[in-house]
Amino acid sequence: MGIFLQVLLRSLETGSIYALAALGIIIVYRTSNTVNFAQGAIGMFNAYVVTFFFSKFGFPLWVAIITGVISAMIMGLLIDILIIRHTKKVSAVAKQIVTLGLMMVLLGVVPLLFGVDPMRLPKLIENGDIKLLGASISYNGSFNIVFGLAIMASLFYILQKTKWGLAVRTTASNEYTAKLMGVPTKTVTMGAWAVAGVLGVLAGTMVAPMTSVTLNLMDGIQIDALIACVLGGFQTFYGPVLGAYIIGISRNLLLYYVSSIWGEQILYILILVFLVFRPHGLIGKKIVKKV
Amino acid sequence: MKTIIEKLKNPRFQFILFGIVLAAIPNLANVGLLKTSHITIIGGTLIYAIAALGLNILLGFSGLITLGTAGFMGLATYISAYVTINMKLPFEVALLLAVLIPTLIGILVGLVSLKMEGMYLAIATLCVSEILKKTFEELDMFTNGFSGKQAGFPVLFGSLQLDRTTTYYLIVFVLVLIMLITYNMINGQLGRALNAMRGSEAAAQAMGINLLKYRLVAFALATIFASIAGVLYVHFIRFSYPTTWNLKLSLDFLAMIIIGGLRSIFGTVLGAFIVFAVPDLFLKQIPFLNQISYVFNGVLIILVVMFYPNGVIYIGHDIKGWKEKFKKRGQKNE
Amino acid sequence: MNEEMIMPKGVVLKLENLSIAFGGLKAVDNLSFDIRENEIFGLIGPNGAGKTTAFNCITQFYKPTSGNIYFRDKDNKFQNLLFHEVHDIIKLGIVRTFQNVELIRELSILDNVLIGAHIDFKASILEQALKLPKAVKEEKDLREEAISILRTLGIEERKDMLVAGQPYGILKKVELARTLMCRPKLIILDEPAAGLNDIETSQLTKMIRKIRDEFKCSVLLVEHDMRLVMDVCDRICAISFGKFLAIGTAVEIQQNKDVQAAYLGNDGDE
Repeated sequence: MGIFLQVLLRSLETGSIYALAALGIIIVYRTSNTVNFAQGAIGMFNAYVVTFFFSKFGFPLWVAIITGVISAMIMGLLIDILIIRHTKKVSAVAKQIVTLGLMMVLLGVVPLLFGVDPMRLPKLIENGDIKLLGASISYNGSFNIVFGLAIMASLFYILQKTKWGLAVRTTASNEYTAKLMGVPTKTVTMGAWAVAGVLGVLAGTMVAPMTSVTLNLMDGIQIDALIACVLGGFQTFYGPVLGAYIIGISRNLLLYYVSSIWGEQILYILILVFLVFRPHGLIGKKIVKKV
Repeated sequence: MKTIIEKLKNPRFQFILFGIVLAAIPNLANVGLLKTSHITIIGGTLIYAIAALGLNILLGFSGLITLGTAGFMGLATYISAYVTINMKLPFEVALLLAVLIPTLIGILVGLVSLKMEGMYLAIATLCVSEILKKTFEELDMFTNGFSGKQAGFPVLFGSLQLDRTTTYYLIVFVLVLIMLITYNMINGQLGRALNAMRGSEAAAQAMGINLLKYRLVAFALATIFASIAGVLYVHFIRFSYPTTWNLKLSLDFLAMIIIGGLRSIFGTVLGAFIVFAVPDLFLKQIPFLNQISYVFNGVLIILVVMFYPNGVIYIGHDIKGWKEKFKKRGQKNE
Repeated sequence: MNEEMIMPKGVVLKLENLSIAFGGLKAVDNLSFDIRENEIFGLIGPNGAGKTTAFNCITQFYKPTSGNIYFRDKDNKFQNLLFHEVHDIIKLGIVRTFQNVELIRELSILDNVLIGAHIDFKASILEQALKLPKAVKEEKDLREEAISILRTLGIEERKDMLVAGQPYGILKKVELARTLMCRPKLIILDEPAAGLNDIETSQLTKMIRKIRDEFKCSVLLVEHDMRLVMDVCDRICAISFGKFLAIGTAVEIQQNKDVQAAYLGNDGDE
């Protein structure tokens, strides 16, 4: 039981990281109708910013993180203003290619700004474990879980209970109608990109201590965030979050209990099988075309 | 004289002419105008163009988006390398197996994904590609894992050993052949059926088009082309690493056809050059730009999509339009 | 068998107690009528009456919940349409147009019409890919046939233009041309007068009669425009809320009290 709980707790941590990234993707998707393939790259870039300010300039870790968050917000705003806004007339697939271009620009710029050596980012809370029912989880891990949940909870609160959240939901539902009703859709999309950038850097900062800060930092997270969105359904904001936790937990359980080599492939195969029966995700709805 | 001009307008003739031009390139290297490394880059670009043409059939004509091209191309590289190196069977057998096996899987994917559309379909195919990539990493016995799998230049008909230049000729030959076949298919009943499937499923069904059948055909064709590209790749570049067959590569293929021109055969080849060859061929030569070739390429992709969402191949139309405008303005001033 | 009893000579389509329900809502409720050879038949009813649903059932785009649909196909064989898939219906000789004009915008008008000949192409994909003589000849022959149909409808000169950007009236003719490629036995027209002005509507009336006479087929017309329906239809069936109201000639329908109440308005004018 102890081991199981251990695996479960660790999974909650990875689940949180995927969930933050997935939330970043779905927020941008539902407001700009673009699947942001650069979400991981943006997070990676800003994780580099954090690490840079921490190690090269000696800022305290939490200040460096705030710098990264600000950098992420500015980057998100710039991306929307300079690029996304001008792709309204472009097909959906072409918009995806724009995010690919963005990914390449970031992958190219990072070595120029930050050098090619891998860097290390320490955990926010270096030592200490919590003992829970025979399992232990580090303070840092539990902080990540709680912090992640707190961020998501506040975002959902804003989404459901505030005027800004209503603006986002209206834009997500139908941008044209929202504009006609006076919703400031331009601000909404800008804000969505900024928020997505922040979610990306938070995910990056959480995962960086587990490996090192390199160009590939967010590769796995990018893919799993996308799969989480498909698993949970692109129709809602909470679907991908749910999908992310399911993926995080299932992956670790499969890797530990079934096969450490084939665990991930089995997970993906199970997800594919699931999609055969529910092609619109857990919480998706099919829109029937009338002829 | 007139018939030559008429012939030039025939796309099939254009493809063959294009092939002849491409085949002349190694001679430029012999004369010293190009380096042999350039031949490798151009050959690689042509190989990618073959896979991208398959993707164009799937996305451009049939409207089915897939992010699985990289995985299937990679699978073909490993199968072909294994069959020629480990099983020591002839190149032709390797080609057959390396195309057959991925295509069967590709058809299965088409079958399984029948009810999926748009982004769901794209990411489901991404799942498949990732499964393949992780298998390449783990299945040491077959793929050599992260160390990479090696292969040699092809040996045709049991005895004709090719070298880099002759393999390049083989690539050009296969590309032109595929361009011709694609052109024939697209301009006949198959092309119309795929377009109908993309444009209006209801109308397609009412006109007797079996959606399941044509969806499977589209997936099969795309996978066949990607597999052929994979076989050529591993016998030209002569090794295959699992990290190559990732999401970024699948996105690159998508970029090639979007930038070059959806539903355009020459556009696809052009797109392959822009996405793959331009940075390596031109930008890396200029010392300062060497560092930022990736950045440059990314910016180029963004700009092309923003200003030429239909693809660079249609610049020709725009140039014609400007010429007309200039003419009209000139006439007005008289 | 009982074929003769179910489908007497001269009847080409017969709906028998057709019903379809979506969730709890019965969109078509126990509908029965028949269409005769060479007949122009109208199906009318107020908005939401179930006309489109009914003929989507005929073409097997929806599978009915109960009832039968019998058809005498191109080879004069007796068929129950429920045993066929939607993409096989055209092979039996039934084609339809779409209210929203479902054409492929990036293709030329000629290519769009050729889609209507899809089932007539017998060459395999391989033969097409390699441009073998059989495929080349087929393509040439069917192209000529498509061009002659466009000529009949008066739009031959536009054959190589892309569908995108063509005026609405032209698009409707292209769709019509598409249905004629397979020499159908029954053409279902889905609101063909929608979006047409008076002149175009009267041209349409002439066109429908011409098609019926030249191609020796039956026409099922689903329509709102009363002038067109009363003008061109040999018989009309009126439905409301998915249920049968009345069937008869234009005059009989106009004088039917139930129809007046449900559709034409209680004071009976129009």
